[in-house]
Amino acid sequence: MATVDQSDDSGGPLNRWVQRSIQDPERVYRALFYTAMVFFMVTTLFPFYWLLVLALTPSSAITGGGFIPDISLFGANVPFPLPVPQGFRPEGFIEVFQEIPFHLYMLNSFALAVTTTIIVLVVASLAGYVFGRLEFPGRAVLMLAILAISYFPPAGFVVPLYDIFAGNAVTIPFTDVALFKSIELLNTPGSMILPFSALFMPLSIFILTTFYGQIPDGLEDAARVEGTTRLGALFRVIMPLSAPGVATAAVLTFISVYNEYFFSSIMATSPQASNWSPLVGGILSYQTQYTTNFQLMAAASIVGVLPMLILVIVAQERIVSGLTSGALKE
Amino acid sequence: MANLKLEHVTKRYEDVTAVDDMNLDIDDGEFICLVGPSGCGKSTTMETIAGLTIPTEGKVFIGERDVTKLPPKDRGIAMVFQNIALFPHMDVYDNISFGLRLRDYPKDEIDKRVERAADIVQLEGMLDRMPDEMSGGQRQRVAIARAIVRQPDVFLMDEPLANLDAKLRVHMRTELQRLHKELETTIIYVTHDQAEAMTMSDRIAVIDSGELQQIDPPLVCYNEPANLFVAGFIGSPSMNFVNGSVGQTEIDTPNFTIEFDPTTLEGIGAGDDVTVGVRPEDVYPADEAGDLAFPTAPIRAQSDVLEPMGDEIFAYLLLGDGETSMSQEAATDDQLLMSIEPDSEMQEDEQVEVVLDRRKIHLFDNTTGDALTHGLLDATGGDETGGTPAETDD
Repeated sequence: MATVDQSDDSGGPLNRWVQRSIQDPERVYRALFYTAMVFFMVTTLFPFYWLLVLALTPSSAITGGGFIPDISLFGANVPFPLPVPQGFRPEGFIEVFQEIPFHLYMLNSFALAVTTTIIVLVVASLAGYVFGRLEFPGRAVLMLAILAISYFPPAGFVVPLYDIFAGNAVTIPFTDVALFKSIELLNTPGSMILPFSALFMPLSIFILTTFYGQIPDGLEDAARVEGTTRLGALFRVIMPLSAPGVATAAVLTFISVYNEYFFSSIMATSPQASNWSPLVGGILSYQTQYTTNFQLMAAASIVGVLPMLILVIVAQERIVSGLTSGALKE
Repeated sequence: MANLKLEHVTKRYEDVTAVDDMNLDIDDGEFICLVGPSGCGKSTTMETIAGLTIPTEGKVFIGERDVTKLPPKDRGIAMVFQNIALFPHMDVYDNISFGLRLRDYPKDEIDKRVERAADIVQLEGMLDRMPDEMSGGQRQRVAIARAIVRQPDVFLMDEPLANLDAKLRVHMRTELQRLHKELETTIIYVTHDQAEAMTMSDRIAVIDSGELQQIDPPLVCYNEPANLFVAGFIGSPSMNFVNGSVGQTEIDTPNFTIEFDPTTLEGIGAGDDVTVGVRPEDVYPADEAGDLAFPTAPIRAQSDVLEPMGDEIFAYLLLGDGETSMSQEAATDDQLLMSIEPDSEMQEDEQVEVVLDRRKIHLFDNTTGDALTHGLLDATGGDETGGTPAETDD
C-alpha cells in the first residue's frame, strides 16, 4: 500500500485526492454529503434571505435594483456574492399589521388548519382502521377509488362547489329534479374546511392505513376484552401506538391547509379577514390596483412563515421523537 | 365465578368450518384445557367464548346468561394471550389497571386491587416499569395480573406459555395451577401441548377439525381414548397403531396375532377390520410376561433404535422381516415402540421377544375411528370387557 502511495505522489493534488479516496471511500461519501447539504441549504435558505432583504428595503427603493453592489477587492471591483438591503427599514414588520389586520388573516388560516386537521385525523383514523384492520369484500376497490379521487385536479371541484356553497339548488344534470339545497356557505369557514378535508383526506388515509395495519391484532383483542369497544381500542391503543403516523398525517395536513390559497380565495368572495380570507389573501392585500407594496408583502410573508417554523421545530423535536419513543416498545 | 356452556356452536368461514357443532358444559371453578393440533379450531372456540368472534350458529352461556351477541367487554371474562399483548405504551400499573380505569373504579379501589394482583403474581416493585424493560416471564405475569385484577367470571388463556422457554414454561405451569387453587375461578386454557393439558386441567377437551372428540379428565383421555385421534394425540410418545382384522378366535395383524373371542364384544364380528392400539409402556419384554396377569403370546421383533431418556428407554422395534417402510401414517404395521427400564440389557439390532398387556390393548373401528374397547380380556375375564382397566403393575 505504502509503495503505491509514493509512486502516485508525483501526480497533482486531484490525482492524490483520487488515490486516497480509492483507499478510503468514506471520504467520497463525506464529500458528497457536504456537497448535497450545501446545495439544499442554499436552495431552501436563499429565498428566505431574499425575503428578508426585501422586507428591510424601503418600498420606494425596491424596484430601483442595485441589490448586488460592487465591492473593492484588492483594488478590483467585483460584485458582492449576496444581495444586500437597499437601506434599513424594519418598521415594515409593524406596518404589515397597521395597513391591514394581518393577524386576523393569520388567525383565519390557523383556525382553518386546526379544524381541518382534527376532522381529517378523526375521519381518516376510522377509514384507516377499516382499511388497515378489517377484511371485507370490495376493500381493494374502495381503496383504489380513494386513490383515484385523490388524483382529480382540485380545480375541477371549484365551480360546482362554489355553486353549491352559494346556496343554489342542486339538480340532477340535464333535468330540473332538485336533489338538495345547501345553506349559503360562501365567506364562512364551512366552505373551506369541507373541501380541504376532502382534498387532504386520501393522503392521511393512506398513512394511517399503513400504520394501523401494523398494530398486532392481539393488542386490539386485549383492549376489547379489557373493556373497550372497537372504537375505544382505536383511540386508546391503536392510535397512541401509531403516533409517528398520526403526527405525520397531522403535520402534513396542517401545513397544506395553512398554505392553501386557491380554494379559499374563491370561497371568500373578497379578500377580507371577516370573509375568512387566509394568510395568502392577506399578503396579496398589500397590492392595490395601482400600487404593489413589495416590502410589506415580503415582511408579511416572513411573519406568516414563523408559526410554521415553530411547528416544524416542535414537531421534529417533540411530536415525532417524543411520541415514537413510547410507541416503538414491544 | 360462573359456569360456561356452549350449545351447538358452529363457526364457518367462507369455505372452511373452523368449529363444528361444539357442545361444552363447563362447571364453575373447573380448569378445562382445549387441546388439539394447530388449526383444529381450539383458538376459534376460545374467541367465540371471548366474543372476539361471533359464531355462525349456536349459543354461548356464561353463568346462565346468553352472551352470544354481547361484545367482549360485557361478558365478564378476562383473557391472557399467546403473544402476551401488553400495551407497549403503558407502564405495568397502567396495563394492569386498564380495565378498571375504563370502568371508572375509584382510584383507591384500583390501587388496592392492582397491588393485590401484583402481589399474587409476584410483581411487587415493578409497577412503574415499561413492558419492554421486562423479561418474558415477567411480562407474562403482568398479563395474568391484568386478567385477575378485574375478578372475572371466567379466565380465558390462549396458549399463554407458548412463547416462553422450556424451563420457565414448566415453572409458570405450576404457578398457574397454584393461582387456580387460590382464585377458584373457571379457567379455559387453550394449548397444543398435550403435556400441559395433562398436568394442569380438571378435564381435557380434545378437538380436531373443529369437532369435539372427547372431554374427560386427563387420565380417562389417556386410558380410555374415545377414538383413534384422541389415542394418538394424548400421550408422548404416542400410541402404537397396527392394522388388524378380526378372525374367529383371534385378531390378525400383519406381523403377529392376538387371541381374541369376538363374541365377547358387541358390534364386532369375524372379518371386521380394526386398528389395534397399545401404548409404549404396555409393551413388555417376554421374560417379564410372568408379572402380567394377562400377557399376549410372545411377539418376535428386532430392536432398532434405542432412545435413553434417563428414567426410561424408548426402544423402536421392527416387526416381521426387519424392513421398515418408515411410514408416517397412523398405523405402522411393522414398527412397535416400547418403553423399557433404564437398566435393561437390550441392545440395538438384536432379536427380542415382547408381550403386550392384554388389559391395555385398545381396539378402534377402522371406518369411524371410534374406540371399541380398552382392554382385551380373554374369555375367562370377559365380564370386564370395556371396563376401566386396572392399574398397571409396574
